[in-house]
Amino acid sequence: MPRKVGGIAAFALVCLVAGGVTPALAQSGDPLGVGRKMLAEDNPGELWVERGKTLFYQKRGPKNASLERCDFGMGPGQLAGAYAALPRYFQDTDAVQDLESRLVTCMVALQGYKRGDLAKTAMGNLDRMSDVEALVAFIASRSNGMKMNVPLSHQKEYDAYKAGEYIFYRRNGPTDFGCITCHGENGKRIRLQDLPNMTDRKQLQDVVTSWPAYLGTQSNLRTMQWRLKICYWQMRLPDLAYLSDISVAITSYLNYQGNGAVIGVPGVKR
Amino acid sequence: MRKMIVLAGSTSLAAVLIAAGCASFPDEATTRQIAEKMMHDGFPGVPPAFAKRVAQDRSQQICSKTGNAKLTQQESADVVKLARASIRYPASGKLIGDWKVGAKLAYNGSGSRIRGGKLEKAKAGNGALCSNCHVLNPKEFNVGNLGPSLAGYGAQRGQSEAVARVTYERIYNTWAYVPCANMPRLGSSGHLAPEQIAHVVAYLLDPQSPVNKR
Ligand code: HEC
Ligand code: HEC
Repeated sequence: MPRKVGGIAAFALVCLVAGGVTPALAQSGDPLGVGRKMLAEDNPGELWVERGKTLFYQKRGPKNASLERCDFGMGPGQLAGAYAALPRYFQDTDAVQDLESRLVTCMVALQGYKRGDLAKTAMGNLDRMSDVEALVAFIASRSNGMKMNVPLSHQKEYDAYKAGEYIFYRRNGPTDFGCITCHGENGKRIRLQDLPNMTDRKQLQDVVTSWPAYLGTQSNLRTMQWRLKICYWQMRLPDLAYLSDISVAITSYLNYQGNGAVIGVPGVKR
Repeated sequence: MRKMIVLAGSTSLAAVLIAAGCASFPDEATTRQIAEKMMHDGFPGVPPAFAKRVAQDRSQQICSKTGNAKLTQQESADVVKLARASIRYPASGKLIGDWKVGAKLAYNGSGSRIRGGKLEKAKAGNGALCSNCHVLNPKEFNVGNLGPSLAGYGAQRGQSEAVARVTYERIYNTWAYVPCANMPRLGSSGHLAPEQIAHVVAYLLDPQSPVNKR
């Protein structure tokens, strides 16, 4: 667990304790619910997974390279369980990164894409499927059936978690909304849209283990980056920057609390 | 709740770990500093008018306690006081407008959203957002439930000057009555103009309004 903490051996034991301070996990009894299983049998999101798989191993970009040397935290090219342990701190970028930020780091460093171009095309539409969305779907799906296991050991991971919590409760903008306004109580709706209560561990776990997801209303597969952008739009704040620290911090806060719940992606949502 | 306990537990442990040079949760002031920098950097390249939306006013700061921690008496009083001081009334002095205009506003959830750096166009001004959170006309089902049902609101309360004033003020800035309520301060934030609010007041109070019909 405390992989990156305290290079000094003398502190290792103490730090191990820190890494071990994880919330008592409320195990959900039926991790892959019957409903989700049925949906999974006819899950359009699988199209994105398949496409992402092809893209991952293809030589692409100005540097004509595949993504096989990309390290998502488990070592170069090691995808199994990588998504389950994201966001996490990466030494080479000296930053906490979620799956999508890490992917973009690799597409820039290994394949030579321009970050700005990727930001512009990362969210696809009906005319133009997005490579990033497909890749996220594929890489995340390599953690299917595994438990969310987001680390909290590097100082920046602690910082991101706490910042995420702070931002979750931060009310802002002309409608005074914070995430907590819409996602803090059971059984609430904005018009007819059901709002998950993300202060409830079970509901939160269901949310974080099911993104990226295929959205019927979008006819598209979407990632958490997209979801947060839309929630900020509803909150009437300006456009949330792609791969912002805000989104990584919120994802750290949410995913960490999801620890112990079984991943099943892509989810299928309205 | 469990989360809070766990965090509290690890914060006390944190003191020991900091002394040992280990990673741990940042304290409140450091967290604020880190998170506020993220907020500041998270919406780059926007004109000042939009950037202003990211910054919090004093009341929003007070109303953002993590874990929904209780307000102190002083904080409640401050929020109420700021809310009171912010309330403006229509130039005409009329707090009850046209309920038919109010009906359209109450069911309109659009206006003032920003996409691609552009402000959403709103011909008749911003929607009032009420149906996002409230039952109004009891026959209308595409409504949310973040707030209490307002069906029969005027039928129950009448249309006295006092009722009109309270209703107007609660729409303008409900934090004058319920500090930090989940209902937006629609008038104080400039989302709605005083005249628009008067129309919505009419929609809630007028005996002819569907809100007050069964
Ligand atoms: C004005 C209300 C509102 C606010 C404020 C809001 N959201 Fe949402 N959120 C929604 C709606 C509506 C949905 C979609 C629910 C649905 O499809 O049924 C949603 C969905 C989500 C989901 C996906 C839920 C799922 O079922 O998988 C996440 C995650 C999320 N929001 C996070 C946030 C975060 C983090 C914030 C604060 C930055 C936030 N939201 C603020 C309204 C809101
Ligand atoms: C984001 C959700 C939300 C929106 C939008 C919203 N409200 Fe509310 N409203 C609430 C909540 C929550 C309460 C309860 C807390 C309070 O009293 O302020 C409330 C309370 C009220 C009350 C007091 C009810 C009582 O029993 O005294 C009135 C009146 C009211 N709202 C009217 C409106 C009107 C009219 C609109 C549209 C202009 C509106 N609200 C928009 C959430 C909302």
